[in-house]
Amino acid sequence: MNSISSDVIRGYNDTMILYLLMQRPSYGYEISKQIKQLTQEKYIIKETTLYSAFTRMEKNGYIESFSSDEEGSGKRRTYYRITESGKNFYKEKCREWILTKEVVEHFILKEEPYGNN
Amino acid sequence: METIRNYLETMFSSLPHTPEVLRAKNELWQMMEDKYNELRNEGISDNEAVGTVISEFGNLDELSEDLGIHSVVTHTTPINSRKVSLEECKQYLKARASFGFKIALGVLLCIISPIGATLTDGFSSSIYEAFGACFLIICVAAAVVLFVSSPIIMHRYDFLKQEPCTIDFSTTHYINDQKERYRPTYALLLTIGIVLCILSFLPAAILDTLNLKLGRLSIDNISGTLLFIFVAIGVFMIVLTSMINSSYDTLLKLNDATTVGGNFVSTQHPEKQYISKTAATIMSVYWTTVTCIYLSISFLTFDWHLTWIIWPIASVIHAVLNSTLKK
Repeated sequence: MNSISSDVIRGYNDTMILYLLMQRPSYGYEISKQIKQLTQEKYIIKETTLYSAFTRMEKNGYIESFSSDEEGSGKRRTYYRITESGKNFYKEKCREWILTKEVVEHFILKEEPYGNN
Repeated sequence: METIRNYLETMFSSLPHTPEVLRAKNELWQMMEDKYNELRNEGISDNEAVGTVISEFGNLDELSEDLGIHSVVTHTTPINSRKVSLEECKQYLKARASFGFKIALGVLLCIISPIGATLTDGFSSSIYEAFGACFLIICVAAAVVLFVSSPIIMHRYDFLKQEPCTIDFSTTHYINDQKERYRPTYALLLTIGIVLCILSFLPAAILDTLNLKLGRLSIDNISGTLLFIFVAIGVFMIVLTSMINSSYDTLLKLNDATTVGGNFVSTQHPEKQYISKTAATIMSVYWTTVTCIYLSISFLTFDWHLTWIIWPIASVIHAVLNSTLKK
């Protein structure tokens, strides 16, 4: 089992999306592509997961959507940008992850980190 | 691209048309389109790109809370239906084709069984008579073996009829594709088969005018034999091709409108809905009854030159019944 179970990563989809949106406003496919590239294709986010995260975070006020033309092609797309409260939420999630990682790390066997199970 | 659009439409087909749902559909479509185009630009084949996009789409259940469609999504999920894989479907189609071939061969053997007798009819020697009888018995015996043995293999696929089964979207698409590809062959074989049956009298008619004699074989011997052979080949083609064609429909009918894979058959050839069960029964036996009446009257009166009038009358009555009994 080398793939990530969706239950485990669910809580951190928001973190990934917010991290990418902090750099610049972006749209659905670009974000999913960046996640795929940054994780060296170890994690591919499903379209429905991504859209669900967008709507949830927009409802919570962490991101805002706006419609814009893509440079060149003239195709209208929905872009998302991060809000101030989104940035705060991101920092909070980062702290949460550091703590989570620290806690879970205590229970991970060190001798055979990439065992062939 | 068309496939992806169809997939998305099918996924959303059971959902209410609220602004949230429409927005979700548009956004998801945008993402899928972007991904498809990029994969294509990377030089990936159409089929593969469609496969990747669909496999990475995810599950609408995830959106149910955001869209307020939770009840709809959970409601339409089919209960405990058996998933039939693409591999199983391919095996089934293969098995059905060989089953169809065996049954068609059996029918062919039955039809040609009398040719031993017709060929030697009129010969005085009893050896020839014995040959005719032997040929008939061997043919019928072989046909019976085929009829009895071949359905046993098909029992493995009884679950398709007995259990609720579903096939996923890509499998449905594959089968529909195969069916489309088979369509020209089906039409060709069916036409040739029917033409052969109709033309079966032709050799007799031609030989009769030529009035030739081949050794001890009289014209009656040859023309009778040719008639059976023509009909046998014609029926063989019709039976084989119809059985192959119906195997695609069997698989495509597994899904109904509520399943994700979509139902290609019912939307293309909607089953007729009658006002009551009795009406449906009457309509299902209509043409057989008419045929029976036609043959009975014709044979009793031998007025074949008049009795054909039954057919135009019957079709007018059929049209009237159809429009009054349909929902």
